[in-house]
Amino acid sequence: MKIIVLVKQVPDTETKVQVKPGEKAISTDGVTFVINPYDEYAIEEALRIKEAKGGDVTLISAGWDKAAEALRTGLAMGADKAVHLNDPAFLGGDAHSTAVALAKAIKKMEYDLILCGKQAIDYDNHQVGVRVAELLGIPHVAVVTKLELQDGKAVAHREVEGGSEIVETPLPAVITAQKGLNEPRYASLKGIMQAKKKPLEAKKPADVDAAPNEVGQAGAKTTVLTMTMPPERAAGRVVEGEPEDAAKQVVKLLREEAKVI
Amino acid sequence: MVSFDLSDDQRMISETVKKFALNEMRAIYRDCDEKGTIPPEFVSKAWELFLIPNNIPEAYGGVGEPRSVVTSTIIAEELAYGDFSLAVCALAPATVVYPLIEFGTEEQKQKYLPMFCEEQFKAAAAALMEPRIDFDLPSMKTTAALKGSEYVINGEKCLVPLAADAQVILVYAQTDASAGAKGVQAFLVDKGTAGMELGEREKNMGIKALDTRKVTFKDCRVPKANRLGGDAGCDTAKLINYTYIGLAAMATGVSKAAFEYARDYAKEREAFGEPIASRQAIAFMLAEMAIEVDATRLLAWEAAWRLDKGLDCDREAYLAKQYAAEKVLMITDRAVQILGGHGYIREHPVELWLRNGRGFATFEGLVTA
Repeated sequence: MKIIVLVKQVPDTETKVQVKPGEKAISTDGVTFVINPYDEYAIEEALRIKEAKGGDVTLISAGWDKAAEALRTGLAMGADKAVHLNDPAFLGGDAHSTAVALAKAIKKMEYDLILCGKQAIDYDNHQVGVRVAELLGIPHVAVVTKLELQDGKAVAHREVEGGSEIVETPLPAVITAQKGLNEPRYASLKGIMQAKKKPLEAKKPADVDAAPNEVGQAGAKTTVLTMTMPPERAAGRVVEGEPEDAAKQVVKLLREEAKVI
Repeated sequence: MVSFDLSDDQRMISETVKKFALNEMRAIYRDCDEKGTIPPEFVSKAWELFLIPNNIPEAYGGVGEPRSVVTSTIIAEELAYGDFSLAVCALAPATVVYPLIEFGTEEQKQKYLPMFCEEQFKAAAAALMEPRIDFDLPSMKTTAALKGSEYVINGEKCLVPLAADAQVILVYAQTDASAGAKGVQAFLVDKGTAGMELGEREKNMGIKALDTRKVTFKDCRVPKANRLGGDAGCDTAKLINYTYIGLAAMATGVSKAAFEYARDYAKEREAFGEPIASRQAIAFMLAEMAIEVDATRLLAWEAAWRLDKGLDCDREAYLAKQYAAEKVLMITDRAVQILGGHGYIREHPVELWLRNGRGFATFEGLVTA
C-alpha cells in the first residue's frame, strides 16, 4: 500500500507566540520548530499500516528550507522517503494555495491513502487535508480517531458530539487524524541514523506542473490584513461583603458597567 | 576553532530524548521515587530509543554509528532533566558497553556486545566506588590477583546500580599496588559468579527509585580472559574521565530542571502585589542559577569535545565534575528556597531534585558519557 502523509512544520507547542508590530506573521526569532503534533498521529498511523500490510510511506511538505528538518524527523520515525516543495514561490500561501501545491505534487505520485493531521497547531485552519481531497477528486474523512483498512475500503471512526460516527469510504481517500488515533513513536537513534540515507527530494513549482502564480502567496485566496497579539486581560475585581449584598452588587455591576445583563 | 552548533544528528537526538524525558520520565518520576521502583515498561521504552546499541559496531549487531562523547553528553543531560534515577537506569549498560567498545578484546566484544543489541533491555553496571570516605584510584582497596589462569577478586563495592539484575558487572580492582592508578584494571564478572555476593538494597537519601547495592567479592575467581582488554588491559583513568563527564552532564540536567521550575514558579507566585520574580532577592538568585547551569554544561562539553578530538582531558573532566557537583547542590537548594514552604513538600519536585543533586558530590562511576 502506498501512503502519502502531509506534514507541516510548526512552532513548538511550548512557544510563547509573539507578533512584531507591523508584521503579518508570528515572529520566528528564537522559536524551535517541530512536526505538527496532529501530523505525528498521521505519520504513526501510516507506519503502523505499512508494518501490518506492507508498502511504503512518503512524506510531503511545502515550506521553507528549515521544513526539511521536520521531514528528516519523520524519516527517522520510519517513513521511507520525503518530498519537500521548497521554493520561495511556495511560501506565504493560505490553506487553498498550499493545498494546490500539495495536490499538484501528489498527482504525479502513486498513492492508495493520504493521511494528515486534522489541523496544524499554528494557524488552526483545519482545511489543507480536506482541500487536497477535493482537488484530487477523492473522498475524505476528517477528525478520525480509529482507522481500519480492508479490501480497498477504509472504515474510519470519528468523534461527534455525544457519540461516534463510523464512516466507510473507498480508497484512495484522505484521512485527517485526531488525537487518540494512536500514540506516535519516538524517532530512535537507529532511525535517525537510517534517515540520513533516505531520499529527501526538493521540488520547484515547475517540477509539479504548478504555475508560480497559483501557489504560495500569489495563489492565495485570502489576505492577512493585520496580525496583533490579543490584548492583555485586566485583573478581575473582587466584590466583598455578605453574600446577599455582594450578589446584589455583582448584578448591578453586570448590568450597569459590563452591560451584559 | 570551536563551534557550538549541533550537527543535524545531534539536534534530532537531542529533540527526541528531550521529548522522551518530558513525556515518559516526568510522568512517572515522582511515583517511582515514592515507591522505590522503576517500571519495566519504562525501561523497555527507553531501550527502544537505541541510545546504547547506536554506538555498537554492526559486526556485533549494533547500528555502527561512531561514538561521540559530545553526543553522549547531550543525551545524558536531557535524560537527567527528565529524571536522574530513571536516566541512570536507562544508561547503566553503557558503563559496560562503552569500555568494551574502546578497550575490549575481540573475544570479549563477541561474547558481550550482541547481548546489548537485542530487543530486550539487559541490565549491566560498573562497580567502581568503595564504601569509604574518599575516591582515589591509586588507593583502591579491591584487589585482583593473578593466580594461574584466573584473577581472584577480593574487596567491597557500593552504589552499584541494577546490581541485582545485571548480566555482567564491570568491576574495577587493583592489580598492582606499586603501579598506583595504572594498576587499577576492570574485570567482566558475569551474573552468578561464585564469590560475588550482592548486599541488601542500599537506603539512599536520593535516587530512591534506583536499586543500588553493595557488592562483596570473596575469592571471586574469573578467567584471565575476563580482564578488560586482555593482557593489554585498559586505560582506567580515561574511563574515569568518561564517567566524570557523564556525571557533569547529568548534574546539568538536574540543575536545569530545578532552575526552570523555580523560575516559572517565581513568575507565577505573587506576594505583596507582584510576582516574587520581580523582587531582587529572588531575581538575583535566578540569574545566578541560570549562569551556573550554562557554565556546568560548557565545562562538560569542553571535556567531551577534547575526548572526541583525541586530546587529553584529565583536567577538564575533573573540573567539569567537581564544578557540576557543587553547583547542582547550590541550584537545587535555591530552587527549594525560592518555593519557600512549597519547596519542602513533596507536591513540588524541587525537594526530590535537591536530594538527588546532593549525591553528585559522592557518586562515581554511576554513569558514563
